[in-house]
Amino acid sequence: MPMRNSTRLGRRRTGPLPKASFPGIGLSDDEIRLITERLGREPTLVEAHAFDAQWSEHCSYKSSRAHLARLPTDGPDVILGPGQDAGIVRLGEWKGETYGIVIAHESHNHPSQVVPFEGAATGIGGIVRDVLCMGARVIALADPLRFGPLDDPHSRYVAQGVVDGIAAYGNAIGVPTIAGDVYFHDGFRDNCLVNVVALGIVKESEIIHSCAPAGSDGWDIVLIGKATDRSGFGGAAFSSLVLDEKDAEANKSAVQVPDPFLKNVIMRASYRAFDVIRELGLTVGFKDLGAGGIMGCTAELAASGGFGARIALDRCLTSQPDLPAAVIAVGETQERLAWVVPPSFTPRLLQIYNEEFSLPQIARHAQAAVIGTITAEKEYVLTHHGAEVMHVPIDFLTAGVRYDRDYKRRRPRYRIDEDLIIDEVLIADDEPERAADKFSWRRQAEVLTRLTFDRDLALKVLSHPDVASRRTIYERFDSVVRGATSIPSGYADAGVVVPIPGSPFAVAIGLGGNPRYSRLDACYAAEQAVCEALRNVVAVGARPAALTDCLNFGNPEDARQMGDFVAAVDGLRFAASQFGLPFVSGNVSFYNQSASGESIPGSPIVACVGVIDDVSHTVTPAFHRSGNKLYYIAGLSSNALGGSVFADVFGLENGPLQPIAYGDVRREPNFVRSGITAGAILSCHDVSDGGVFATVAEMAFATRNGLRIGAELSSFDLEGVSDKVLITEYFNEGGGFVIEASDVFDEWSAQLEHYRGAWELGTTTQAYELTVRRGERPSLRWTVDELYEAWSDPLRTFYEGVPA
Amino acid sequence: MSARVAVLVFPGTNSEEETVRACRAVGLEADAVHWNADLDEVRRFDAYVLPGGFAYEDRVRAGAIAAHDRLMTAVREGAAEGKLVLGICNGAQVLLEAGLAPALGGDSSIQAGFAKNAPLGKFRSTHVHVKLAIPPERCAITAHLAPNAVIPGWASHGEGRLAAHDDVLARIEREGHLAFVYCDASGETTTEAIPNGSALGAAGLVNAAGNVLAIMPHPERDAWTFNHHDDSRERARGNANAMLAPSGGIALFESLAKALR
Repeated sequence: MPMRNSTRLGRRRTGPLPKASFPGIGLSDDEIRLITERLGREPTLVEAHAFDAQWSEHCSYKSSRAHLARLPTDGPDVILGPGQDAGIVRLGEWKGETYGIVIAHESHNHPSQVVPFEGAATGIGGIVRDVLCMGARVIALADPLRFGPLDDPHSRYVAQGVVDGIAAYGNAIGVPTIAGDVYFHDGFRDNCLVNVVALGIVKESEIIHSCAPAGSDGWDIVLIGKATDRSGFGGAAFSSLVLDEKDAEANKSAVQVPDPFLKNVIMRASYRAFDVIRELGLTVGFKDLGAGGIMGCTAELAASGGFGARIALDRCLTSQPDLPAAVIAVGETQERLAWVVPPSFTPRLLQIYNEEFSLPQIARHAQAAVIGTITAEKEYVLTHHGAEVMHVPIDFLTAGVRYDRDYKRRRPRYRIDEDLIIDEVLIADDEPERAADKFSWRRQAEVLTRLTFDRDLALKVLSHPDVASRRTIYERFDSVVRGATSIPSGYADAGVVVPIPGSPFAVAIGLGGNPRYSRLDACYAAEQAVCEALRNVVAVGARPAALTDCLNFGNPEDARQMGDFVAAVDGLRFAASQFGLPFVSGNVSFYNQSASGESIPGSPIVACVGVIDDVSHTVTPAFHRSGNKLYYIAGLSSNALGGSVFADVFGLENGPLQPIAYGDVRREPNFVRSGITAGAILSCHDVSDGGVFATVAEMAFATRNGLRIGAELSSFDLEGVSDKVLITEYFNEGGGFVIEASDVFDEWSAQLEHYRGAWELGTTTQAYELTVRRGERPSLRWTVDELYEAWSDPLRTFYEGVPA
Repeated sequence: MSARVAVLVFPGTNSEEETVRACRAVGLEADAVHWNADLDEVRRFDAYVLPGGFAYEDRVRAGAIAAHDRLMTAVREGAAEGKLVLGICNGAQVLLEAGLAPALGGDSSIQAGFAKNAPLGKFRSTHVHVKLAIPPERCAITAHLAPNAVIPGWASHGEGRLAAHDDVLARIEREGHLAFVYCDASGETTTEAIPNGSALGAAGLVNAAGNVLAIMPHPERDAWTFNHHDDSRERARGNANAMLAPSGGIALFESLAKALR
């Protein structure tokens, strides 16, 4: 987002309101007064809609900007930080060219709740355009999804529609979906979350910016894609409202209509245009039409280059005659992008889209057409039937307003503890001493006292909806189209593609964001999201290179929701700076709240992009051989179970949170990666939902189709070991990795022996069983097949029970 | 001079890039040829590969509209002249809709179709293996594969379940049109290995003349060692050249290239 000088709205403005009324417009009285004051007249209807879109939370980040400025965005590998449609981080040099990975992260929560299939599909459509318009080939998608529980019929309907919508769009355009995560939680009954991440590959020398280039005064603005229609009118403003069941029907018209078929062709035509532009050595501007439609896109293209623009709305092809000027100007019809090109190149550009790729034959009235010009005068002007319907100072329009929202932070359940950042280790026994945590530890002790560690307890954790196999969902997505996938969805903690044919460079994408933590502490949830996303890419052997974030929260006008948001930004900033990682792109989605005031668990969702210099140094969780040692790579943990799957299964509410020992957490990635590169780590899996037990079980499942290898876990095989200790050790979600080490002694194995955070966990076995030894008591034993059943069963029925 | 292969791109096709890459990896001169290409130019190619995707949005039925595309004129003529035609996934659906496969008794009416996957009736993307179920020389494209060759690939489709009248299915089997069947990694044909409920466990069909092959799974998406998740990946550990080498699904393209030599 462009961050120019915006007006801060704090003190209530006085003065008369305009006489004209603007039904359906979400601008506040103060905002309308400000516009009237600045224009020296009342805004026209088109202007009112334009400001409504451009100054919406969705477009202007008016509540969040001040806080987002605290996130680290710079680093030696950053080619392009936040500010344009997508960020770019360096991949490496190949055949004399520097390649960058383009990353964009968006949400499509509101539309997906109202019209799940179309809402989710257009979410994919939008994010793909964000990457495409940087001049990049789109190479991968990842989808973090949050739904209400599946036993709620409406939540199930939403979840099914969202999954099918993503599949229908992503599969058709031919971009593989290589990663994703799904959580089910009560807090998403009224507001699902559909976040989407897209990756692209571009040569640094061929990046196209989403702004009018220097000296582009008088250049053409070319609109390409679908004919403008009534769909998606008021979309940006709608995304900035609290959803109310009563308005469900009305809101549906704010959702756009996806056309992946047309997009497939637009992408290929644009790739062709990139080639021609490179051959001709041109510098041009290219931007996606998203929120605010033609107005939003062209105003930002022009303003970010320091120009104005003049657009003739009559030249925009529409699906039906007599579409009102306001609808043409700000309607969010899908599958459109806009170019800024020198007039000498315009005929060639039109020829590519209209003739070579025959857009007008692909979809009714689709085409490329010149709709306006870039002007030196910094005014934004729209004409319709020869008359000016909008004429405003462009910077006033695009800079938006800014709010310093009141916020009230909850009493932190968890505080960033500077002590832990140095290599201090916190011992479990100290934890109950911290007064603030006393109650939570007592609760954990009470729950544990009631339980015995038996076979059934483990099966319950494995069949929790947040642990269970996601196969029914990820098999809907094509994860191998383009033929460049090295690790598809469901094979490992992160997806991996090989984006440059012939080169060993690979790109990994991992996600993080656990709503169970969000309910307890927003700052902690954000920190864990960063750690988890990062661990996911490290687990396949990648070097974390950059982060993106999507901050999904409730109503920012509610001080408590805003407090959670601020706390989450703090957590992101702190964790990212610990790893020295930049946020190169991001998104904020507020108002994820139902009319009854029920807000979602504030959800900071993080994606981490990892770079792999040589794809032959990648691993997955699949066990390799029997008789190998298993290690748990992690800092000393306090065995706190708060926010874990275990806590959810056994009714531990408000349990204690595991402190993040950054000293260890920061060391682990390099240690694990060096083991993978040395060939000493044969398989590796990040420890998250379901703890070490679920992690080891999943490593055994991964070998299912070939070898059959089990494991015997003996690390807590101590005399007198209690169930309480065993449960906390096997089911806490304190992070870290489980690795299968090669039995070949080498330099790295020697390091492993002395590494302070490496705990011998057990061995892989020929028996296709999972065994937990526990001192003098008989071992607990499961066949891997029965564990697999428990794990794969819950979501197998994802498509059953579709309400009529 | 190497043979020239046209990889045909209809509006909605999405796998042309990897298909061209697989052809080139085996020494073929391959180009993506778009729907607006000059028909006489298209006629000059030696062989046609119809790649995966959702041509014409799979309106009506998968492949039904593309079967009537202009480009198909060149494919029909070529097939009649004995040129090799390989359809993969959506390309296979197009060939069935065009009556070019299975073409029992040389008849070019629509005899069989790929229906919605069972049991979900939805798109599914999963790794599979297919086994050559005809003598290799029965089909020119498979002639250079070993008997009973097992090829890995990805089933990534919503409509891949072979469906036809019982007598047609019987003839497909009896008259040697069942080119590939789904199997497990060791070549066993099991019910679990069939990803979509396909009749006869069919993964691929060949026409009567043996020059047109329609195969549902994508060998080109499992055509490089880095695509694999079997022992070959393990053996390539730490060896970038081995990891980037063509292997696995590339076998079908190698056989195609040998046939075109």
